[in-house]
Amino acid sequence: MKDYKLEVRATVICFTVAAIIGGFLSSFFVIFNSVFFNQVAPPEHLAQHFSTMYIAKTTVLGFPLHYFLLITLSWLGTTLIGAIWCLIMDRLEKIQQQ
Amino acid sequence: MDPRGNLFVLGLVLSIVVILISVLISVWARRFTRNLGDYYVAGRSIGAVNNGLAMVSLALSLTTFVGLTALMIEGVYIGVAVYAAFTSAFIGLLLLAAPFLRRHKSFTTMAFIDERFNSKSLRVLSVIVMLVVSMLYLGGNLKGIGIVFYYLLGIPELWGIILGGIVVTLYVTIGGMYGVTYNQTFQTIVLIFCLMFPVAIVMRALGSSGWFFPPLGYGDMVPLMEQVAPHYFWPMLVHPSVYISVFLGAWFGIIGLPHFVMRYFTVRDSKEARWSTVITVFLVGLVSTTVYATGFAAVYFMNTKALELGITIPREAYDYVVFILIENLTTQGWLAVAIAGSIAAALSTVAGLLMIMGAGLIHDLYCVFKPDIDDERKLKLSYGAMLVIGVLVILFSLNPPDFILEAIMWAFGIAACSLGVPIVLGIWWKRTTKQGVAVGMTFGFILTTACFIMIDYIGMDPVTIPIPFIAKYLYGPFGWIKTVSFILPLSFILTIVVSWLTPPPDESLQRQVDEMHGWSDYDNRRYNGNGLPITIIILSLLTMFFVTTLYGVFPGSY
Repeated sequence: MKDYKLEVRATVICFTVAAIIGGFLSSFFVIFNSVFFNQVAPPEHLAQHFSTMYIAKTTVLGFPLHYFLLITLSWLGTTLIGAIWCLIMDRLEKIQQQ
Repeated sequence: MDPRGNLFVLGLVLSIVVILISVLISVWARRFTRNLGDYYVAGRSIGAVNNGLAMVSLALSLTTFVGLTALMIEGVYIGVAVYAAFTSAFIGLLLLAAPFLRRHKSFTTMAFIDERFNSKSLRVLSVIVMLVVSMLYLGGNLKGIGIVFYYLLGIPELWGIILGGIVVTLYVTIGGMYGVTYNQTFQTIVLIFCLMFPVAIVMRALGSSGWFFPPLGYGDMVPLMEQVAPHYFWPMLVHPSVYISVFLGAWFGIIGLPHFVMRYFTVRDSKEARWSTVITVFLVGLVSTTVYATGFAAVYFMNTKALELGITIPREAYDYVVFILIENLTTQGWLAVAIAGSIAAALSTVAGLLMIMGAGLIHDLYCVFKPDIDDERKLKLSYGAMLVIGVLVILFSLNPPDFILEAIMWAFGIAACSLGVPIVLGIWWKRTTKQGVAVGMTFGFILTTACFIMIDYIGMDPVTIPIPFIAKYLYGPFGWIKTVSFILPLSFILTIVVSWLTPPPDESLQRQVDEMHGWSDYDNRRYNGNGLPITIIILSLLTMFFVTTLYGVFPGSY
């Protein structure tokens, strides 16, 4: 059962992290927009109002921080998580074959 | 949108070269096909690198060139979010399904569902689902070929659709899965070259200092973009649940789309299946980030240089923007390269879809009713079925959806809600019963398909569709995407609850779960607790509840 638990735990952790950085991230940008943008509209104006500007607080390589996080984490971040999970499963597979 | 003018000889020559090489590869690969296993799953002999490259071209269909820019012009940030979720979805496929399906001895998703739940009825139902989602996917891609031919030759899209359809049908029929795999590997290399280089040249023409690496090289243009299109980077134009719906649709859709899953039945073992996915994610991410640069360049161009040059791009021409961009900012040679790349992208995806449709009809449907026919006869029937399907798909594609990426997003949604759920539960929860799967799958398929027909095909406003409770919350830009946030959780809940209410499956069926996870012995305690189903139910309820919150905060359209 110890190896079974390793498989389940590794999968749950990798899934959670990958789901956050590869899927939920944009919804966090909306909900916590004050972290990423300077001029935050009141809730009733959040939908779209070009008269209300949202200016990124921080930029990385010229990109707004949230955009940079989205494009790099959904690519390199998830690739890294996948590679880590594969290494764990390679190890587990060796144990299973012994 | 008018065609670009006279016959574009260089583009035509490069496109023909790509098509000819594809056919030649299939003819060459035919020698490896000796039996049914070779024809459908390439003798389960494909390595990680080959499979990873083949997956990339399967993933990066023609939407990479002609669909995403349209979505980005229409929806800006959400276009990026859709492709980001799609890129990371391969990790979902890796963690939840890919290596486990490889250990199962099936040829297709439909066979897996039959054997895992011991139900021929479910097999037939999953074939029907597969045909619907594959048709949606194919219609979009064949329309894309039509667009390219129209723009290239100035002939009606119809002829492009027919020619593209005939070519790909022929080479899939001839080469089987070996031909498809080697072709997809070749097409991935062509696609990456043909996208990265023209986009780099476009970025240089637009004044980007980091043009030599398009994925992250346009940061210095951001301030200018914020002046001409201030909303470009704003994620808060839509309800946050739209992004969660995109995530759910992408992650479970990719597991439910049989032509992606089928690639895993072709690899040597589960280790190769795992590492091929890591290769795929890295390369898909590389191309996706280049496509974001293309979308950025398209929006930037439309708001700056196009105005200076007096070019007006009407809404119905958004699918063409990549070519307009390349033609106006680079040389004719690069336009030819981009056209050849887009042909390669379309051919690879259509080939994968035809393969799964042929396998589904003969292996998963016909053989259920005629179980006694031998493999040689099955192989002959498969050749014939592939030809017939090719013709039917061409006919279906004559009236394709308006925006090709939208059709493909619906295909993901339908696949997620109908096939994604039983595959994930079938791998991770022994207690899943065929009755539970039948209820969840039928519910997910019928409701998502009904939503697609009402919203996309008939053109109803999402908030007016006659589905109580759900319709009210489908408001705002891209509100239809939120259908997934209701139907997928409900499909999970129904499958779990009905499974609890029905007798547990036989030990022989439960044993398959241990085998899929690599255990040589059987232990009833593994994958059998209530922790997973209860967690899924709680997360499902939270997801649905979240969509109903903030009602009225995101009502507008932009």
